[in-house]
Amino acid sequence: MELRARQIRNNIQTMTPTIELGGLEVQLGGRTILHGLTGVLKSRAIGLLGPNGAGKSTLINTLLGFHVPSKGSVRVLGLDSHTSGKALRSLVGYMPENDAFISKMSGVRFVRYMAEISGLPSEQAMERAHEAFVYVGLGEARYRPVGTYSLGMKQLAKLAQAIAHGPKVLILDEPTNGMDPPARKRLIELIREIREASDICLLLSSHLLRDVEETCDEVLILRNGQIASICNLVEERRANRKFLELETIGAEATFTSALEGLGCECAVFTSGRIKVVMPDSVEIREVFKVAADRGVQIRRMNHRRDSLEDIFLNAMEQTGVADGRL
Amino acid sequence: MAVYKRRYNSYTGSLTPTWSRFFVLTRFAFADLFKSRFFVLLLILCIIPCLFSAGYIFVANNKTLQLLIQLRSVDFFKVENQYFIVILMGQAWAAFFLNCWVGPVLISGDLTNGALPLFLSRPFSRADYVLGKLAVLGLLLSAITWIPCLLLFGLQSGLAHNGWIWSHLWMVVPIVLCSAIWILTLSLLSLAVSAWVKLRIVATGVIFITFFIPAGLGEMFNHIMGTYWGALLNFSNMFQIIVERGFRDPYSLLDRMSRHEIPIPAAWASLIFVCLLSLVILNARLRARETVHG
Repeated sequence: MELRARQIRNNIQTMTPTIELGGLEVQLGGRTILHGLTGVLKSRAIGLLGPNGAGKSTLINTLLGFHVPSKGSVRVLGLDSHTSGKALRSLVGYMPENDAFISKMSGVRFVRYMAEISGLPSEQAMERAHEAFVYVGLGEARYRPVGTYSLGMKQLAKLAQAIAHGPKVLILDEPTNGMDPPARKRLIELIREIREASDICLLLSSHLLRDVEETCDEVLILRNGQIASICNLVEERRANRKFLELETIGAEATFTSALEGLGCECAVFTSGRIKVVMPDSVEIREVFKVAADRGVQIRRMNHRRDSLEDIFLNAMEQTGVADGRL
Repeated sequence: MAVYKRRYNSYTGSLTPTWSRFFVLTRFAFADLFKSRFFVLLLILCIIPCLFSAGYIFVANNKTLQLLIQLRSVDFFKVENQYFIVILMGQAWAAFFLNCWVGPVLISGDLTNGALPLFLSRPFSRADYVLGKLAVLGLLLSAITWIPCLLLFGLQSGLAHNGWIWSHLWMVVPIVLCSAIWILTLSLLSLAVSAWVKLRIVATGVIFITFFIPAGLGEMFNHIMGTYWGALLNFSNMFQIIVERGFRDPYSLLDRMSRHEIPIPAAWASLIFVCLLSLVILNARLRARETVHG
C-alpha cells in the first residue's frame, strides 16, 4: 500500500492525467447510460457538468467502482477503477449527493468511524474527526446525533467525513444541494481552501455552473451520456484576457498599425470601435501607452467574457457527439 | 495539528492493516450494544443457566455435598453426553432470542440513511462489511454457546477423576461444530432480515416467522403427502438432530419422532441452505447503488 501511495505521489508530481476515459461505456438495467466516453482531464480541479440524467452520477459511481464498465475503462491518477478499485478507493474521499449518514451517531463519532474504516488508527481518527468538524464549521454541533442536523449541516458533515482521512482525490457530488446562499458560499470557500492547501485533486459534480466556475480549472460537460465538451477554464480565461473590444475617439490608422507593430491583430469598425487580439507577450498597459503616445482616447475597453454559461449552452446546442475541446 | 488552527491538512501518518478494518464495524457495534441496559440484562440472563450448570457439575463431583443434601440416587448427578446436549440446546435457544434482539438493527441502521456508499467508497468491500457485522453476532453468540460449554467441559474435566477427560474428549468437536452451524445460521439469517426490514420489531417478527412458519408448513406437507421430508423446514429440529447425533445420544429426537429416514447430511444441508439463501439476499441488498431495470 505504501508503494502504491508513493506511486500516486509520483503520478501527481509527473503530471499523470487526473482522469483518463478510454471509450468508457456503462450499462445499467439493460440501458446504456454512458456511451463510449473518451478524453483526458489533466487539471487538479475538475468540474462535471450536465443536465439531469446526463450521466454525471453514473460516471462518479463508475470511478468509485460501484458500477463495472461494460466496455472501455476509466483511470484516476493512473489507477484503473475496475482492476485497481481498492487501491483507487484508498485515495478517495467521497461526498455523495443523497443523504448518507448514521442518524443515531454523534457527528464526531460518525466521522471517526469513517476515518477508521479508511485505515486511520483509532486515536488519529478521533483527532482528525475533531479537526474536520471544526474545519467545516460544525465544531459546536459535533456531539449531536447527525439525524438532528439541518440539511446544510448534514452536507457539511458529509464533507467532514470525506476529508477526515486526508484523501488524495476528493469527489463531491452536488455538494451545495439544498443549501442557502450563505451556507453555499461558505462551502465553496471551504472547497477552494482545501484545493489550495494541499495537493488534493478535486472532482466536483454539479448542475450549478457557478459552483463549478468558482472551484474548478477544467470542465467535462456531459449530455445524454456522451461528452458534449471538455473545456480548460484556465486556458479559456487566459485566452479571453487577450481579446479586447475598444471604443476610441481619435484613433487613426497609425494607432492600429502601432498595435500591429506590437504583434496584435486588429479589426477596425465604424464609430472608433476596434477589436484587438493580443499575443501572450503583450500586456494591456502597452495598449494604453500606445494610445497615450498618439493622443487616442479609449472610452471603453471590454474583455471578451465567455462565461461557463456560454460554454455550457454552446455545448448543449451542438448536435452529435463532440469529442474535441471548445 | 491543533483544532483551533482550522486549516486543512492531508494525513501522512500510519494506516492499519487492510485485513483488520472489518473489525472497526464490530467494535463500534459492540460499543452501541453495550449502551443498552436491556441488552446487558438479556446477556446476563443468557449466561445465568451456565452458572447453574457449573454448580451442578460441582455438586456432581463432590460426594460430601451430595451426602449433605441427602441425595438418594447416585445417578442423579451424572455429567455425560446428555448433560451437554441439554446445556447446548438451552444455550442455542438463548442465542436465538439474543440474536432476535441484536441482529435486526445491525444493517438496517446503515441502510436507512444511505450510509452504505460511504463504507463502500473506501478500501472496504461488501465482504468486509458482512464479515464485520457477522463478527458481532459470532462473538456474542459464541460467548453464550460453545465458550461456556467448553468451560463447563473443562470444569468437569478438572473435577472428575479416572481419566474422564480422555474418555470424553471427543465431545469438544460436537460442542464447537454444532454451535458453529447454529451461530452461522442465526447470524446470516438475521443479517439478511436486517438488510430487508428497517423496523426492529418487524424484523424480529420476520426472524420468528422464518423459524416457525416453515416448520408448520413442513408438518402440513408431511401430513398431506404422508412423508417425513417436510421436517427439513423445521430448522430448530434439524439442529437438534445434528446435536443429538453429534453427541451420540441413543435416545435422540430422531428415534423418538420416528424420523429415522432423515439422514444427518440432510439436516446439515437444511441449515446450510438457510445460510446460502441469506447470503444471496445480502448480496442482492448490499449495493452501493441500486440499479433500476427496464
